[in-house]
Amino acid sequence: MHIPDGYLSPQTCAAAYVLAVPTLAIASRRVSRGVTTRQVPLLAMFAAVSFLVMMFNIPIPDGTTAHAVGAVMIAIALGPWAAVIAVSVALLFQALLFGDGGVLAYGANVLNMAIVMPFVGIAAYRVLAGRSALRSTRRVVAAGVAGFLGINAAALAAAVEFGIQPALFHTADGMPLYAPYSFAQTIPAMALAHLVVAGPVEGILTGAVFAYLAKANPEALRGTHGDLVTSPDAGASRPARVGWSTPAKVAVGFVAALVVLSPLGLLAPGGAFGEDAPADLDLGALGLQAIPAGMARYTGFWRHTVLADYGAGGAHATLGYWLSALVGIAVIGAAVYAMGRLVGVFRGRRATPASAVQD
Amino acid sequence: MTRGAAPPRSRADTPAWLVQPQAPLRPGSRVGRRRASFLERTLGDGAEVFRRAMYAEIDGSRGALQRLDPRAKLVALVALLVAVALVHSPLTLVVGYAAIVAVAWAGGVPMRSFVRRVWLVVPAFTAVAVAPATLSVVTPGQIVVPLWTWHGAPQGLTRQGLLAAALIVLRVACSVSLVLLVTLTTPWNRLLGALGALGVPRIFVTIIAMAYRYLFVLLGNITDLLMARKARTVRPPDHGAGDRRFVGAAVGTLLGKSHHLAEEVHQAMVARGYAGRHYALERSRFVAADVLVVLAALAAAVVILGVDRVLR
Repeated sequence: MHIPDGYLSPQTCAAAYVLAVPTLAIASRRVSRGVTTRQVPLLAMFAAVSFLVMMFNIPIPDGTTAHAVGAVMIAIALGPWAAVIAVSVALLFQALLFGDGGVLAYGANVLNMAIVMPFVGIAAYRVLAGRSALRSTRRVVAAGVAGFLGINAAALAAAVEFGIQPALFHTADGMPLYAPYSFAQTIPAMALAHLVVAGPVEGILTGAVFAYLAKANPEALRGTHGDLVTSPDAGASRPARVGWSTPAKVAVGFVAALVVLSPLGLLAPGGAFGEDAPADLDLGALGLQAIPAGMARYTGFWRHTVLADYGAGGAHATLGYWLSALVGIAVIGAAVYAMGRLVGVFRGRRATPASAVQD
Repeated sequence: MTRGAAPPRSRADTPAWLVQPQAPLRPGSRVGRRRASFLERTLGDGAEVFRRAMYAEIDGSRGALQRLDPRAKLVALVALLVAVALVHSPLTLVVGYAAIVAVAWAGGVPMRSFVRRVWLVVPAFTAVAVAPATLSVVTPGQIVVPLWTWHGAPQGLTRQGLLAAALIVLRVACSVSLVLLVTLTTPWNRLLGALGALGVPRIFVTIIAMAYRYLFVLLGNITDLLMARKARTVRPPDHGAGDRRFVGAAVGTLLGKSHHLAEEVHQAMVARGYAGRHYALERSRFVAADVLVVLAALAAAVVILGVDRVLR
């Protein structure tokens, strides 16, 4: 994922620097606040660790190896701002010492791997781990999933940076000047590599390191898990469900995820296969004389929709489309909420006898 | 040890694993058809890091390029990188690459590794990555080499696709060469000093300098961990769950150790009067030659872009 010089236009690199430099400034201020000099050697060590983690090739089932970045792991152990600095320094080593990643593209690499990755990872970790005990399986799984999500978010950011190049920078006769692949090609390519290979590696590493630290060296986690480290059993004796996942939160989260992901639909070229109205079918191309009888009979079977064609039939087509989008989001949210309540009711029924016995 | 020469007299007392012939316990050894495990490869990579770093440290003392002020070299590097990034014609980059190689040769850079480090990496990654973009499926345009037809329309390599691929491969080669030209002729500590002089915040420079130094300490720690594990391993290691668990524990140990080390180093630094400021041992002076280099680089950048405007 280390973008070399030459793939991105100088304009893109400049934009990435514009985002990366202030973030680095905030990170150094956040990290060096409070204790003045202690953080310097600590961050230096973690930069070195991050560099070495990128060297650790992990075997994956098909016989090849992949390396992790470790940004999420450092974010969990030391906080996301420390991860920003540690990974940035490691990336600088790689760019200057080993030619891995470019100098102009350094800003973009920092943006992907040192900013997007630790923040996405730590957000996922906090949501998934909730208030579970330090040594609970849930926390280890949360760390692993956070690593997986973090590196995939970084890969998506890189894919977007590559994908905008051919559209924005090309000569008059269509020759791309920088990375030649469009969104429709970069996003699947990066997604495949990172969902299948690098993501699991990062996830396994993050989970394994977290499990080890929680078990063998919880002091290393004190900075970010202070309350949990001081009383390792406190989490266990607490009621297991403190209620981070109320049905309402799950419903809102689900809808938010859908809203974030829905622009992916814009990438798909052409119409949706198999969703044409019978009248729109190109019968000649399909070698048919007429619309098949069954299709003709049942196509109008259900006509009682409230917002037919996503409200496009009315006088205010755009307004209707937006209205149907909002109604759809609300209905899906309500459905997820109802399911959450239902699950809660069943769980409650199952849990009640046990707690009654304990009492 | 003469394995198998004398039959063990007390075979019944000897555990079976001790009697079996074993691979020598040497990092990076590949015995027979056994594939080197990823741990061994990691060790090998570590040794490579050492080798290259030592190499970079040694090479900083001789030649005209080596004597230049690192600040001048960094400014020149950025100017030339931007110029290379703005070029639209592969031909300009061919000329540019030739010029870079000529400068490296004149500056006393070891030519073989200078050329090899670029052309071993660029074809393996960049050329493979941009190869599909030469097809009309990705880059539509004027078809030069027709390969197949799709709904009656010929498909194949397009002029635009081939030119774009050449442009990217050459641009990556030029960029990597320029960075190598600077890093191969500048000792790491002087390069860092230049970063500080050019406005990179002091805390960053200090962190980078320390991280570089402790990289080797921590690399030594990893090597020890791997060696200790290898020494305790009596049967061929499983390349699966066990290895993954070990990597988790190794990185976790590394984190713990570095935490501890950072604490001790901080105390040592404070004891020696550290109050947040980092001093470089040698202070470099900007001389006429350095000004000349910056001006020459800027002129070269302008020439590159001018030539490119004519050629494109």
